[in-house]
Order: sequence, then C-alpha cells, then structure tokens
Amino acid sequence: MRRIAAVAEYIFKQSFRNKILNVLILFAVFAIGFSLAISELAREAEVKMVVDFGLFAISLFAFLTIVLSMTVQLFEETELKTLTLIIVKPIKRYEYILGKYLGMMMTVLMNILIMLVILMLIVKFRGGEPWDIKLIEASMYSFLSVAILASAAMFLSVVTTSVPGCIIFLISIYAMGHLTIHLKNLADKTGGAVVKAAVDLIYYVVPNLELFNMKDKINSSQALFDLNYLGLVLGYTSLYIIVMLVLTSIIFSRKEF
Amino acid sequence: MENVIEIKGLTKIYKALDFWKNDRVVGVKNIDLSVEKGEVFGLLGLNGAGKTTLMKLMLGLLKPTAGDVKILGKSIDDIEVRAKIGYLSELPYFPKYLKVREVMDYFAELLGLPQRSKKARIEEVLEIVRLGAKSDTSIKGLSKGMQSRLGLAQAILNDPDLLFMDEPMSGLDPLGYKETRDIIIDLNKRGKTIFFNSHILSEVEKICHRVAVIHKGFLIDVQPMKTAMKKFGSMEKYFVAKIKAGDKA
Repeated sequence: MRRIAAVAEYIFKQSFRNKILNVLILFAVFAIGFSLAISELAREAEVKMVVDFGLFAISLFAFLTIVLSMTVQLFEETELKTLTLIIVKPIKRYEYILGKYLGMMMTVLMNILIMLVILMLIVKFRGGEPWDIKLIEASMYSFLSVAILASAAMFLSVVTTSVPGCIIFLISIYAMGHLTIHLKNLADKTGGAVVKAAVDLIYYVVPNLELFNMKDKINSSQALFDLNYLGLVLGYTSLYIIVMLVLTSIIFSRKEF
Repeated sequence: MENVIEIKGLTKIYKALDFWKNDRVVGVKNIDLSVEKGEVFGLLGLNGAGKTTLMKLMLGLLKPTAGDVKILGKSIDDIEVRAKIGYLSELPYFPKYLKVREVMDYFAELLGLPQRSKKARIEEVLEIVRLGAKSDTSIKGLSKGMQSRLGLAQAILNDPDLLFMDEPMSGLDPLGYKETRDIIIDLNKRGKTIFFNSHILSEVEKICHRVAVIHKGFLIDVQPMKTAMKKFGSMEKYFVAKIKAGDKA
C-alpha cells in the first residue's frame, strides 16, 4: 500500500506541476468564463446556458487532462527511460500500474474540482443556484467517465510505445464511446447478423460514455439521479476499470525495458 | 567465496524491428559468469557489444531467451532481492518539476526505508554525492552531472549489497569521476559488490578486481585485474588485444 501511495503521489505532483497541464487548466477556466459571454445571447435562459456550456467544458477538459497526462508519462517512460530506475526497486508491477492510475485520477479530480468551483461562481453571478445538487452530480458523472477513459489510456500505454498512436486511439475511444449506443440501436433495427455481431463487439469493448452524459437531462424537472441508475453506472464503471487494470498489469508484467 | 551473481547459458535474441518481425538479432549468447561477494567487477565492450543487455537481463528488465540468472542466490523477480540491490542507469532522467528531496523521498518509499530514519538517510546520501545544498532545488535546475549524481544517490539509498552501474562516469566531469570512484571504493570496503559497465578504461583499471570483455554478444574473456595488467601493461592494451582476438575468432 505504501508503494502504491508513493507512486500515486509522485505521478500527481509530476502532472500537477507540469506547465502544459497548468495551461490546460487556464484554458478550462477561460472556457467556463466564456459561458458568461455566450449566456448574453440567451437572455431568458442565461443560467441554463452557463450550466450547459460549463458542464461541456468540464467533461472536455477532464478528458484532455487524461490525454496530456498520459502523453507526458508515456514520453518520459519510453523516450527518457525513467521507468527502469523505478521497476528495479522492490515494487510489483501491478502496484506501479495501480499507483499510476490513482495518481492520474487525483490530477483529474483536482482539475474537475477547480472547474466546478469556477462554474458555481459563474452560476451564482448569473443569479442561479450554485449548490444545485444536479450540477455537482453531473460533474461527478464526468469524473466517472474520465475514470473509465483513464483505465483505457493505461491499457493503451502498455500495448503501444508510440505517443501519437496512443493519443489517436484514445481520441477514437472517446468518440466511439459516445456513439456505440446509437450504433447498437441502429444495428439492432436494420443490420444483418454480421453487422450486429461487429457492433456488439465494439459495444462491449469500448466504454459506453453516453451513460455518463447528463448535459441533456440536467435542466429537466424530473429526479434524474436515482440510486438505481447511480448503482448501475458505478457497477459498470468499476467492472470496466478493474478489467482494464488487470489486463494492463498482466501485459506490463511481461513487458521488457 | 559466495557468488552474488550466477549466470548460466544466458542468451537473449531480440526480434528485429522489420515489419513482420521475422529477423532476429543476437543481444547476448550463451553467457556463463559468476561474480563473488565483495568484488568490483568491470564489464568492457564496444558500443552495441551487449553490455547493457547483459545488465538488463540481470536486473529483470529483459527476459532471457534461454539460460538462468541468480542474484544473491535467488531470482531477481524476488522483491527481497530487489530491496538489496542498487541500480544506476546511464544518464538517468528525473521529472524536471520535482525537487531533489522529493525524488529521493519517492525512491525511499519504494525501497520501504523506515519512516524514522528515512529523512536522515536521504540527507546523508545527498551529502555523499555532494547534492546536500541542492535538496530543495528542482531537477530542471540541476546540471547533467548533478543529475548523474542524483542517479547515484538513489542507487545507494538502501545501502545495497550489490550495486549495478551502467556507464556510471557518463556525463561526469573529472571531479565527478573521482567522487564516483571514491564512492565505489568506499562501498566495496564495506563488503559491497559492484558490477559495472564502462568505456572509461583508466577508471576500470583503478577500481576493478576482475574484468570481462563482451564482444558481439559473446563473453570472450574474464580475467583478474592483476593478471591482465601483468600480461598487457594497461587496460587499453588488454582491451584492444581481446577485441582483435574476438574479431578473428
């Protein structure tokens, strides 16, 4: 446990002090602030506009944090060979993977919290309710979706040593993750057996990111975040992350440096 | 005398980087070698001869195609074994936004050093490598030589029984050479074993008890330093003679 915590802290410090990631947070703050300007265009629904745009920015920049964090890590591990000094120490390889994942998630959590606070301030400034539980829950769902993507990023980082390749794969997963449910519905209605089988395969391998998309539902008056749904999403997220991290650890333990 | 390194029939064949990965490249072939406790052992070879491959096989960073390696009597996969060794890679790199003390603290945690003595041990080791005054400096504020010394500091942090050093003099100035040499000699006086690769033959001559030459993946000679010096007069002459003989064989 001590070794996992040490790796997590190391990755967190490394990411959080990285200038590229700091610039990203600045961009995120700027983007959320920009919602103020946009909301001027929709006088009757200023708060709705701010919330919609803010949540979109949180979700997008949280994903970009993972992409950049993983890029920095992978570059240092493969090009600058920082890993060799670490894995000859008395640490099991799965401990390193787990610590690295937790460190990345700590970075994302910190970024999401910063962005959420900015968004709440803007909502208050626009006369809305900053402590709206839906706002906080929607941000939590964004965090969960990035947690899944980060586990996929971990897997990609051990199966490829190419930084650009890894980024392209991750962006593809992000895009497909939002499309698979629609593809599956379409294939179920119109596709043949082969198409259905192919779409099913993609559906079960690529994370279903639409489960976490609350932007369309947040302004509804219904109670959207019921416990059953939250339980389903948490179960799905946990299972996906565990499978990804186990596979990553197995491949990483066989990897040569 | 107890052997701390025992290598039998060690072979590493790499898959080449062609598209179908059909070609094979010999890293090292059929190496038999043992290193005794308390020795300073120098491995010499040209660039690409297989020095780093052999060291990585010993450290478990590469998996052997054939053969067996025992470190301190056990497999390197054993966590207890890894707690007793140190490793300095060639031109080590550390994340530039971290401070020297943070990097050392990280390695101390990985090594499982006791919390009570950890801070004092980090300070002691930083003093040994002359980085005591830089402990609160970011890595980006260190010169290449200082980063090499930090690499050495993390390698000796656990007071290892067996120290592996891959080109330990790389990036160092002449004073750095002397300091590294003094550290190796001091560790050896305390009964530690040191295995290192180097191109700096004059340093090898000053500190090694035994030397070996690796050429094109084959271990072509192992000699006590005294014997090699008596026969050839200098490490340079010894090395050149062995490489020429290896080319003819």
